[in-house]
Amino acid sequence: MEFPIFQVPYLGNGMTIALNAVLHLIIAQGITTGVITMIALAEYIGFKKSSEHWENFARQLLKPTIVIVTGAGSITGVGIWFITSALSPKGIGLMLRIFFWPWFVEWLAFAVEVIVILLYFFTWEKWTGEKKKKHIRMGFAYSGLAIFSAFLITGILGFMLTSDGWPWNRSFWSAFFNPSFPPQLFLRLGIAFSLGSVFASAYLVLVRHETGFRKEALRFFGKIALVFLALALVSTWWYFSVVPSRFKTHAVFSVLTSHFSQHPEFFWILNILGVIALLLFSLVALRGSIFSSKVLVIPAILFFCGFVTEYERVREFIRGPFLLPGYLYSNQVQLDESLFWKNDGTLKNSYWYSQAGSSEDTVAQGTYLFGQNCSTCHTMGGLNDIKDRVQGRSEDGIYVILGNTHQMVPFMPPFSGNDGERRALSAFLYQLANGQIKIEEPSRFLILSREDKNE
Amino acid sequence: MNSLFDLLIQKPLSDSLLHYLLFIAFVLHMLFVLFALGTAMLAFYLFLETWHSGRLHESRWDREVLKTFTVHKSLAAVLGVAPLLLIQLGLAVPFFNGVTLFAPYWMLIILLLIISFVLFDSLSQQTNIQPYVFLILGIIALVALLIVPAIFVLVMVTAENPDQWANILKNGYHLDKALTIHWLFRYLHILGAALVAGGVFHFFFTAKGDPQKRTKMLHWIVAAILEQSVLGVLVLATLTKKLDYDTIIVMTIGIAAASFLLLNVFQALNKNSTMKPGLVFSLVMLIIVPMLFTRQMLQDKSLLPLNRELEANARVYEKNLSSYSQSALDNYQNDLNTVYDNGKTIFEKSCTFCHGGNADGKGNEAVNLNIQPEAIASIRANRDYIYDILIKGVNGTAMPYFGYYEKGKLNSLIDFLNVRFEVLGKLSPVPVTITLSDQEKADQTFSQVCSSCHGKDGRGAPEAIKFQPPPPDFTVYNLLPGRAFEVISNGYPGTMMTLFSNLPEGVRWGLVKIVNDKRKF
Repeated sequence: MEFPIFQVPYLGNGMTIALNAVLHLIIAQGITTGVITMIALAEYIGFKKSSEHWENFARQLLKPTIVIVTGAGSITGVGIWFITSALSPKGIGLMLRIFFWPWFVEWLAFAVEVIVILLYFFTWEKWTGEKKKKHIRMGFAYSGLAIFSAFLITGILGFMLTSDGWPWNRSFWSAFFNPSFPPQLFLRLGIAFSLGSVFASAYLVLVRHETGFRKEALRFFGKIALVFLALALVSTWWYFSVVPSRFKTHAVFSVLTSHFSQHPEFFWILNILGVIALLLFSLVALRGSIFSSKVLVIPAILFFCGFVTEYERVREFIRGPFLLPGYLYSNQVQLDESLFWKNDGTLKNSYWYSQAGSSEDTVAQGTYLFGQNCSTCHTMGGLNDIKDRVQGRSEDGIYVILGNTHQMVPFMPPFSGNDGERRALSAFLYQLANGQIKIEEPSRFLILSREDKNE
Repeated sequence: MNSLFDLLIQKPLSDSLLHYLLFIAFVLHMLFVLFALGTAMLAFYLFLETWHSGRLHESRWDREVLKTFTVHKSLAAVLGVAPLLLIQLGLAVPFFNGVTLFAPYWMLIILLLIISFVLFDSLSQQTNIQPYVFLILGIIALVALLIVPAIFVLVMVTAENPDQWANILKNGYHLDKALTIHWLFRYLHILGAALVAGGVFHFFFTAKGDPQKRTKMLHWIVAAILEQSVLGVLVLATLTKKLDYDTIIVMTIGIAAASFLLLNVFQALNKNSTMKPGLVFSLVMLIIVPMLFTRQMLQDKSLLPLNRELEANARVYEKNLSSYSQSALDNYQNDLNTVYDNGKTIFEKSCTFCHGGNADGKGNEAVNLNIQPEAIASIRANRDYIYDILIKGVNGTAMPYFGYYEKGKLNSLIDFLNVRFEVLGKLSPVPVTITLSDQEKADQTFSQVCSSCHGKDGRGAPEAIKFQPPPPDFTVYNLLPGRAFEVISNGYPGTMMTLFSNLPEGVRWGLVKIVNDKRKF
């Protein structure tokens, strides 16, 4: 590994990336794309109907929206990049090379988006009368840019699951327009506009007071929510139909995890409940019922955020052993590199291990091998604790399992290292699980020899 | 560092284009970073001053200043993405090493930015807020914001000094003394630059048309430039070994521009005249660009040779890998074709490497195991018992848990094992006739010897349940007579089950019958 490894204590790396990414997606889809589009629509309706209510609603909703969008939304977006740079440098470094141009164009779009939204915000009170039309157009221009961003990012994200012909032909176009690109784009837009309308309805029924206007606006948002929920549901079905069966089969497990894997009914009950809650909310909103909407809007938002989380979890989990299918395993080891290390050994090819003294000691070797092979998903003492995973196994049992992880567990990469290293890691894991050794600070996975420490 | 990956060599742009783009993108980013930092510090100072002089209820200049923060910080963030994108291409190894060596700090930036941005923007929008609340939230926002450049400089300093990487790793998030001093002055120098930039910006924007405010800003700028020159000298002092003629010439341009700006400000103060925006903006750019260019030159000097070396190594490494790439792709195609949604595939992939394709317990890996895998084909058990083993594994052996398959998949695996090997099928009778005396002796042996572990009822004695592995429950789990006879005769090596080859054959068959008669279903 060319970069020193770092693991976030307790949470582990996957969860850290996920927490930030899910927060970003809820904001980017629901608020940046969704709510701002609703604001643009509200401003337009206000102008058409010369309604102060619609106009005020739009203008006042934009204030908190702009704080969230430019403060938390864009920063969590950059955050995905920041966090993966530290936790998965090789993965993100490779993605950047494959998708430099879409990312570059996405950056331009992002820059224009920020400028447009700032102008939209600051000119609201200044651009009145003749200029109002221009202002409204700017709102829609922003929506258009946000959709364009979604278009670019979806190609990149879809690639990670359905890389299609790329591993063989290394062609950018087949990577970008991969099979899950269209359904995922529609799904994301469906989520964005329906979640946006649910957020806007929440602001409407919980904060606003204008009686007649509230009913009218609620009906409008209910309509949008219903239409785009339908789009999201259809796209979900379409999406799953293009995901390779190899990956699709552990979708349910990815949500249940090994805690609940023996109760698959939980999965179905929760999902069906969620869909019902969202549809029910849209229907009462469509009827303009303020009271029922007040009751249902918070559960609807919670379920919606749950769905966004679930969707991202499934997408990230089911590609399982791969970070970039056909090229890189999830532990940042290349597919061909794994075969090379199996013959040649990995420790002697590791710059950082040699920097730590290249100790022959089992604990030092095992710790580093764990860091390199397992630490993307497993921690020592935190989430997905490796001690729980190997608890009860004999040492030779761990050795055998290590040599077969990739075929035994459909979402695990293989162990990448030679036979001696496999022995060292199994001895280490056995001792770790049985409390014979304790690793003080596992985050670096380097055990320095004593002389080094004293330097 | 010989194991660089092949894609690192691929760059979508030429090196020199990448280099210039990175510089331009970085200048633009830094300009708004300085405005944002300067605005935040200025706004906070003005708030304190307004509060102190009891003018909080009059028109609030600090709020006007803070309102522009929304713009500066948004543009700083969005413009920061481009250098981030480009540096990961051009200087991947130094950049990622700088980042990973200080990973927790680097990730903290995100949290700090969110806190600071959301707080500052909310403060600038809320009109009726208690001064104490404003003070506390303002301090939190400002401190969070000011830590960010400290971390960025830390990562940059690390990236620029490859010779220190190993030490940083060993010492855990510490730069050595010389670099720490360099880092500190460089960080302060950025804050100082932000004071100048913020002063200049607000002189032209929020102080427009108000001579008093403008004078105050001019004083602010003077103080900031003077403080900057002191800090600049200190930063230089930490760089003496690295400076050459080129860098000194470029830096001199910046220093000259700064002096000229100072002169301009003094003139404006003395004559009570105003400054020309075009001239001042050019001067500010003439300060920022040479300073950043100096930084870039120093960075290139230490990193470009390293980068060339790394790329050469990457080419060698790629050659090492090339002989494996075809088999890697073939394996991947096989992976894609293998769908773990049926008992047969699950058996073949997750079971056979130990238990063997014929379920005779002689898989490829069996030779590596002290406790031999069971011959699944000989098992006759009830469904729940097998299911239980599958989700829990067998402690003390290699048999892992398979809870990572959902219930339905485990059931399809059990169905498959039943269709292929009849594991849920009937137990065949003992194939030999056992004499009465042998059976009696077997009964005696079972109650005196076997039952101490297996229990009188065959469910496993309480004290033996803790064994690793524990004895099986004969009421729901049995082996075909031939296999049971084998286990009794040879023991189950590696487990507590010892061999009873000393018993006459007839007695051993008697034991098989006893054990199998315990079956309760």
